[in-house]
Amino acid sequence: MVTLYDFELSANCYSVRLMLSILGVHYETVSVDIYPGSDNRSEWFGKLNPEGTLPVLVDGGYIISDANPCLIHLAGKYDDTDRWHPIQDWMVYPLMLGWFDFARRLTASAGVARTGVAFGWNADLPALQAEAHRLLRRLDEHLWFGEKQGRDWLVAGEHPTIADIAVFPDVVLSEEGGVSRQDYPAVRRWLDRVRRIPGFVVMSGVFPAAPERSTVPLDLRRS
Amino acid sequence: MGLKKSGGTSEMGHSKTLAPALRDLWHVIAASQEVPMGGRRVTTLFDTGLTVSRNERLRVARNDDGTLLPVIERYGCIWTSFGSPSADLFPILEYGESDRRNIIAGSIGVNVSAPRAIENFLDMGHFPYVHTDILGAEPHTEVKEYDVEISFERDEILATRCRFFQPKAALTATEGQDVDYIYRVPHPYCSVLYKSCPTDESRLDVIAIFCQPMTEETIRAHLMLSMIDADNTDAGIRRFQQTIFGQDRPILENQYPKRLPLDPRAETPIRADKSAIAYRRWLSQKGVNYGVIPQQLS
Amino acid sequence: MGLGVAELRQAAWYPVASSDDLPFRHVYHGQLLGQELAIWRADDGYVNIWENRCLHRGVRLSIGINDGAELKCQYHGWRYANRTAGCTYIPAHPADAPARRITNRTYPVKERFGLVWAALSADAPEMDVAEAGFALRPMPVNALPEMVLSALVARGEAVTQLPPLGAALVLAGAPGRATYFVQPVDSARAVIRGVLDAEPDVDTLMAFNAVLARLRDAVEAEARAIELPDPIVPRYEPVSVELATMPDRVIGRQATVRVMVRRRWQAALDVTGIELAPLSGHLPTFQPGAHIDLHLPNGLVRQYSITNGPGDLTGYTIAVKREAGSRGGSAAIAETLREGDVLAVSEPRNNFPLRRDAVRTTFIAGGIGLTPLLSMARALQRQGLAFDFHAFARSAEHLPLGPELEALGDRVSRHFGLGPPETAEAIRQVLGAHSFARHVYICGPGPMLELARGIASELGWPDEAVHYEYFKNTHEIDTSSSFTVELARSALSLTVPAGRSILEVMRENGIEAPSSCEQGACGTCLTRVLEGEIDHQDVYLNGTEKAAGNVMMTCVSRAKSARLVLDI
Repeated sequence: MVTLYDFELSANCYSVRLMLSILGVHYETVSVDIYPGSDNRSEWFGKLNPEGTLPVLVDGGYIISDANPCLIHLAGKYDDTDRWHPIQDWMVYPLMLGWFDFARRLTASAGVARTGVAFGWNADLPALQAEAHRLLRRLDEHLWFGEKQGRDWLVAGEHPTIADIAVFPDVVLSEEGGVSRQDYPAVRRWLDRVRRIPGFVVMSGVFPAAPERSTVPLDLRRS
Repeated sequence: MGLKKSGGTSEMGHSKTLAPALRDLWHVIAASQEVPMGGRRVTTLFDTGLTVSRNERLRVARNDDGTLLPVIERYGCIWTSFGSPSADLFPILEYGESDRRNIIAGSIGVNVSAPRAIENFLDMGHFPYVHTDILGAEPHTEVKEYDVEISFERDEILATRCRFFQPKAALTATEGQDVDYIYRVPHPYCSVLYKSCPTDESRLDVIAIFCQPMTEETIRAHLMLSMIDADNTDAGIRRFQQTIFGQDRPILENQYPKRLPLDPRAETPIRADKSAIAYRRWLSQKGVNYGVIPQQLS
Repeated sequence: MGLGVAELRQAAWYPVASSDDLPFRHVYHGQLLGQELAIWRADDGYVNIWENRCLHRGVRLSIGINDGAELKCQYHGWRYANRTAGCTYIPAHPADAPARRITNRTYPVKERFGLVWAALSADAPEMDVAEAGFALRPMPVNALPEMVLSALVARGEAVTQLPPLGAALVLAGAPGRATYFVQPVDSARAVIRGVLDAEPDVDTLMAFNAVLARLRDAVEAEARAIELPDPIVPRYEPVSVELATMPDRVIGRQATVRVMVRRRWQAALDVTGIELAPLSGHLPTFQPGAHIDLHLPNGLVRQYSITNGPGDLTGYTIAVKREAGSRGGSAAIAETLREGDVLAVSEPRNNFPLRRDAVRTTFIAGGIGLTPLLSMARALQRQGLAFDFHAFARSAEHLPLGPELEALGDRVSRHFGLGPPETAEAIRQVLGAHSFARHVYICGPGPMLELARGIASELGWPDEAVHYEYFKNTHEIDTSSSFTVELARSALSLTVPAGRSILEVMRENGIEAPSSCEQGACGTCLTRVLEGEIDHQDVYLNGTEKAAGNVMMTCVSRAKSARLVLDI
């Protein structure tokens, strides 16, 4: 039995929900009312995760806290193809860890700006937004050259990895923290690609992308 | 009262005076739960910094000159006014019924004007597109005829006979059905919705949105529910309402212009927008001048 | 300093995206001189540059869905057509055609040098012929556009200025010469769009990118030291008065569009296929089920349904059956119309609107009657909505537009050579008992239509779920009555004698009233009736609508009472 301790509006919880859905893992949700209830500071939740952060995944007795460890656990246990978490590939694996670090910095900037606006929590918005823009500039450059080199995802290979799922939520929700993506067209295209991964699910604030291919092309003109 | 120009898009000049219709009203500034005993909270209303504190009694003071402002607590929220408000706020009679659960589902900041948020709250046509599989689902997209009146006696807008097809109206339902709604707009920045209660046909659940205009283009939306519901936890009810409002948020933040245009030619209404048309007209008639682009007189 | 905003606003072309920025089914979020743009490529390759705002509630279209033929707004699902940006469907009112011409603001567009160019004014001069080029990675810079151009020129050698905001030069440190266009995004935001003549390798692209990134950092540091101007206030043009009001049902208007016969072919035995192309640009927006009036060289006017799928506005395809007892219309087309002929058509008018809120839609087509249904089925297929299509014909050779039907795949069933009893049985099978949110659309010869309507009624289908269109009204029109008509809004009272129609009498008295078929079939002259008892003689309204007694067709219907009051 897999149980996710979850808060609907949390970007980090969303990345775990995404991975669960993409891998087709059946799970139960326990709603933790972070805001306004502050349930994550309660005694009962402290026993699960003394840090008081979400998400927490409980899988067959194992308790895993925070998004990136949850993603590694899910991909390791439920993806038989090893494509989501290519741990045996020494060229790809270190790059993936680099993107996990990127995701954490994005959460600490774009993510904090977003919760600051939404929940009225104290946040130095201009500084957070500037840092988020710096990170998005880097991401756009990486993805633009990726397209030129035939790489659709954050790290090499035909297939997305958990690095894409780790970075995606704070990027797709950045505008709620006042961080526009207008200057990052390659990022916007990558967001479309992630949203077309089979099993993708939305959350509040995320719209689905247009379907990749329709069943028939637009009626081409007869010459 | 002098108000700052909000950004480069203000068309109303460098300073302006809040319309009497707004100045003498009560405005929400916090949820009660945000200011516990001994607590203190700094917030903004009409570009003006305020401090709310609760010791022997609840106090609201302006940050610029320390002036104390009137204060009341109603519907789980704290309200103040810059003028001479009436003795009480608009009534929500159901709130006092002893078997109801009254919950503040959250106070959420949104980069939008208060009237845009109210208009979205009144809108049913977006249910299948924005609240997909919760409040509506394609292909069931029709907004059926409903009635709207502006009640002069109560000075509020009332939309009745509103119905919208909901795929799973109740947990027990297997087939979709029409859900009935009644909408009230008793305040330029507040709206109250009555919805058929899934567990008791004779009662109505109440969902209200109270918008706190921090600036012309930013608000905090305080969401209040008054429910007949013995099955769900507070956390579950809050999650549901936050999910719904979280879905509206990217729409609201992508609306341009952010302030609500009151000129009938600014946008394209259809029959389904009867309540929005009445709302815009009502704001115009009241001379509301904050969070809107007033109709240019030519 | 360089150019001011006023000069920049001149009708000039600016690059707003790279061609590569518009992949399959993507909507690009652009901006030029403060005006936000939604830019998207349809599946036919056409690049649309629109104001980034749905006309309904101001929501950015750049968060909408590009379905390849139409752009769908994320808020209420309004659909706007490729090329014209005309609204084709408003889901909140599925039974109504959005007859008012709701059209988003579009901007002129060109693709040159691997870039997409826009002009804010339609007066922009023509650009040179297409030239190939390869776009560097675009480099957004938070600084005044003219500062950015100055910095490029200051760091460049062998500079050739390309007004208003471009220069060809060799940038210090860059691996070669390039042409740089500065896109003025806003008063203090710009994008450098560099172009090379020949396709570069990735190392070259990276080297250019590194040089431009250093230049960006230097210019942004400079910009932080000065006071920047306020952002440009975008202009939101008001919608027309007509769109700002809320009429219940709006009547189409007469207007003519000149078209050329681009192709004429044998679409089946006795059926001529005609493709009508615009003389320039593209044709007006239509909705599935719409028809046009075709003005023939011999002076006759005939109605034909548009068979096109959504967003396909480079030519209307119609199909014309050669009628044995032709009054000159179909004969004129079959015998005299040639490719290259220029004709006049009306703007599309839709009196046979398609609901898209059905759980399943059934189409029953008899012979040439499949034309409006084909357009409808294409729209549903594009949206991924469920339907089944039943084409009845005397034989495979008699089935019009067979190849087009083929593209609908296995949702099409063909029924050939059935006699009346077999046809009835087939229709009975197809319809079955009515269930929630099912709708049927029927078009074909009168007897088949009567048969299908009768069967639907027997099977419990309510009137509002059965939609049909007659080609013509075969009933004998009884014009023996005489009565008075009062026009409420015109404050006019007219006498209609035996042998004349209401429409004719109104026209004689200077009242302009739209009409099309003038035999009670097409629905164009639909008029609201405020008082009086109507003598319905049309085949357009269904039984429920006739019984309600509040609308009529003024071309054939009359009064049972001595007096009618019309809302005109």
